[in-house]
Amino acid sequence: MKIGSMLGDIATSLFRKPVTENYPFEKKVAPEALRGKLYYDPSKCTGCMLCIKDCPANAIELITVDKAAKRFVMKYHMDKCTFCDQCTINCRFKCLGLSNEEWELASLESEPMTVYYGRDEDIQFLLDKAAQPDAEPKVPCD
Amino acid sequence: MSTILPILALLIFPGGLFLMASGLVYEYVDRKLVARYQNRIGPRWFQPLADVVKLLAKEEIIPHGVQPELFTLLPVVGLAGALTAALYVPLFGFESAYAFKGDLIVTLYLLSMMTLCLGLAGSNTLDRFSLIGATRTLTQLFSYEAPFLLALLGPALAAQSWQINEINSFSQAHMPMLVTQVIGFIVSMVGLMGKLELPPFDAPEAETEIVSGALTEYSGRGLALFRIGKNVEMVIALSLVSSFYLGGLAFPFPGMSPVLAGILNVLIFLAKTMGLLLFMAGLQSLFARLRIDQTVGLWWRIGALLALLNLLLVIVLKSLGVGGYWL
Amino acid sequence: METKKVGDKFVVPIGPQHPALKEPGHFEFTVDGENVTGATIRLGFVHRGIEKMAEKRNYTQNLYLMERVCGICSHVHGLAFALGAEKLAGVTVPPRAQAIRTIIAELERIHSHMLWLGVAAHEGGFDTLFMYSWRDRETVMDLLETLSGNRVHYSANVLGGVKFDISDKQRDEILKGLDFLEERNHYYLKVVTTDNTFLGRTRNIGTMSHEQADILGAVGPTARGSGVQRDVRVNAPYIAYPDFPIKMVTEEGGDLLARTKVRIIELFESFRIIREILDHMPPGDLTVRMGRRIPEGETISRVEAPRGELIYHIISNGTEFPERVKVRTPSLCNWSSISSVAVDHKLADMPMLLVGIDPCFSCNDRMITVKRENSSDEMSWDDIRKIGIEYYK
Repeated sequence: MKIGSMLGDIATSLFRKPVTENYPFEKKVAPEALRGKLYYDPSKCTGCMLCIKDCPANAIELITVDKAAKRFVMKYHMDKCTFCDQCTINCRFKCLGLSNEEWELASLESEPMTVYYGRDEDIQFLLDKAAQPDAEPKVPCD
Repeated sequence: MSTILPILALLIFPGGLFLMASGLVYEYVDRKLVARYQNRIGPRWFQPLADVVKLLAKEEIIPHGVQPELFTLLPVVGLAGALTAALYVPLFGFESAYAFKGDLIVTLYLLSMMTLCLGLAGSNTLDRFSLIGATRTLTQLFSYEAPFLLALLGPALAAQSWQINEINSFSQAHMPMLVTQVIGFIVSMVGLMGKLELPPFDAPEAETEIVSGALTEYSGRGLALFRIGKNVEMVIALSLVSSFYLGGLAFPFPGMSPVLAGILNVLIFLAKTMGLLLFMAGLQSLFARLRIDQTVGLWWRIGALLALLNLLLVIVLKSLGVGGYWL
Repeated sequence: METKKVGDKFVVPIGPQHPALKEPGHFEFTVDGENVTGATIRLGFVHRGIEKMAEKRNYTQNLYLMERVCGICSHVHGLAFALGAEKLAGVTVPPRAQAIRTIIAELERIHSHMLWLGVAAHEGGFDTLFMYSWRDRETVMDLLETLSGNRVHYSANVLGGVKFDISDKQRDEILKGLDFLEERNHYYLKVVTTDNTFLGRTRNIGTMSHEQADILGAVGPTARGSGVQRDVRVNAPYIAYPDFPIKMVTEEGGDLLARTKVRIIELFESFRIIREILDHMPPGDLTVRMGRRIPEGETISRVEAPRGELIYHIISNGTEFPERVKVRTPSLCNWSSISSVAVDHKLADMPMLLVGIDPCFSCNDRMITVKRENSSDEMSWDDIRKIGIEYYK
């Protein structure tokens, strides 16, 4: 007739530090393989769009500014992304990678959720074009 | 002036508000200890206060099909019963406020009034979970009441009195009955956990089976009053058991200055009740929940027999003339 | 809310919202005092239409979709889908990739069984065991995060192999973590089999005999607890199991205690297999090239999820998009073991029975139609609405 079989554990726990991590004040170091925010390097991109073909969440769009000069802007929807890493695997020129340091992506507004990657002048050009009155009508998100 | 002081003592200190506040402190210590036993952090010191304030601020929803007067009155009556029982128990290092012959029985029944109110509150609704919870509460009341009373009867027999402050003086003058009546102490501790519906005897309030038992339909003020009542019950029952078994509370300390004696008494009270709470929190974390039929079987078979054995021992030893410091 | 009485008895609903259930499901127990006299089960609250969605996405996107059928057994869902697609395409995956897939599958089994132990302890009111087993489960979650980058949904599979390799440093970390887990699990086995309060909640509860388990079609540890020898890793080995065989763990009791023991002893088998594979890791590539279009055909792939046998039926029509994907999850087979065994138990045993089969409600929900004589195969939106409104009256 045995009861109280966890006595050893609970008696020692009184004298040990609790195992709870005090999250915002102490953070564990993330492992190298962590799949965080996507980063894109436009200098190596050829515009093959293989990454977009296999994205299960349609989280990336590639906008061609100038195809011959290989100038692209990537629009990354951080809120749709599932951080699955398939785009990184598909890319043959190593333009994409998932960061292992930026993984605290929560935000109170939806502005930071759409990230543009590319050369600064390209991004500026696109944003100006979208802000003009005769710009193409925005496609509503489905 | 002489009428204001008793009223203040009754409502503010050491009864009434102060008692309710100390109930919150004891709840905090209990939750923190259980958390530390389970290797986690536990709540901060103001958590029980925040819970009560939040509940008091919320709307009380009276469900369909109950009697509204009974629904709103039962928490008040339960809390009143628990607070009245505090009059006869030596709390916070003070002697009990009133005493008369036989007040042990009255105190115990006032404490049971809380459980009865819980059972009635559960039967009052149409909700299936509350009905099952009420049935379990009343079943548990019938099963632990007898062994608990018998276990508290051991010290009463040894002190030859039914009056709490006389038993208290007896405990102060003799060896702590923790040592001489070990069986009675264990039965009374376990009975205490049954009365307060703490795990492993929390079948009436089993979260994973019947949501919250008898309290399922309560919200807002009614739930806050029931919670405060349970905490007050815990303080009173702890002081009762420690004054009987752990060598008494409210020592007179003849010849010492009253202030010093007062402070010493408060420290002794805190030490004894908190020590008992440490032991009780450990018992809470060690066991799985017992089913209600297992609880009843355990109590009526083992609990009552052990308590009777304890009584027998006391009677035999007393009649044999063992006395002096020991008994 | 009216007190529903069936005849002279009382009906207690557990779910869809209930603290006992982690996911929604509706169970109605007819009780008489504390004794249960009847049980009915209704599922379908988490139906998401995944099988229909699979027809609109290509095979690579479907890998990730199928992973999200269940959070606890996510790797084996992706694995079964990948195995099916690879069989249709006729490619052989290199042995190193098979070994890594096996390691991840066994690590997932460890995490799932320890999660189950905590949940079963919580349903029985034993919160201390719950807290301690989940604290120790963090070790295996951290291991999986170090390997794959995520604690749940490891996304280890690609069509034709795996995504990542196991380096030597990671290998040492895995071995150290396994040593710690093994010691803790020996302790939990001792607690579960000797602690009288917990035994009072699991011994002789929900006893299912060998014949009953056979006829009712139970799978996984639920069946193995009654002595039925059903384990896909032994009966039809896949990935690296032909080279590193598993010993089947069965118990004879048939009650909840036997199922608990089966799950914990299976953990020891998992530890042994992972150590063996890590010692004899075959060298080689991680993936094999596979076309984007899968040839026509249909195939069935069976794997052993932590809860039992998982079957994927894939029909392909030669394009990038599958024609039909049908998933049969193990939890679906175990429900009948509750409704036939629940009678004559106390109400307090019901949550323990429910958790004893390790239900995974997200895996369960699918739409089944019963074809009658003169009904057509198509239902319009209005028809479906009408059925829903009628059902809830």
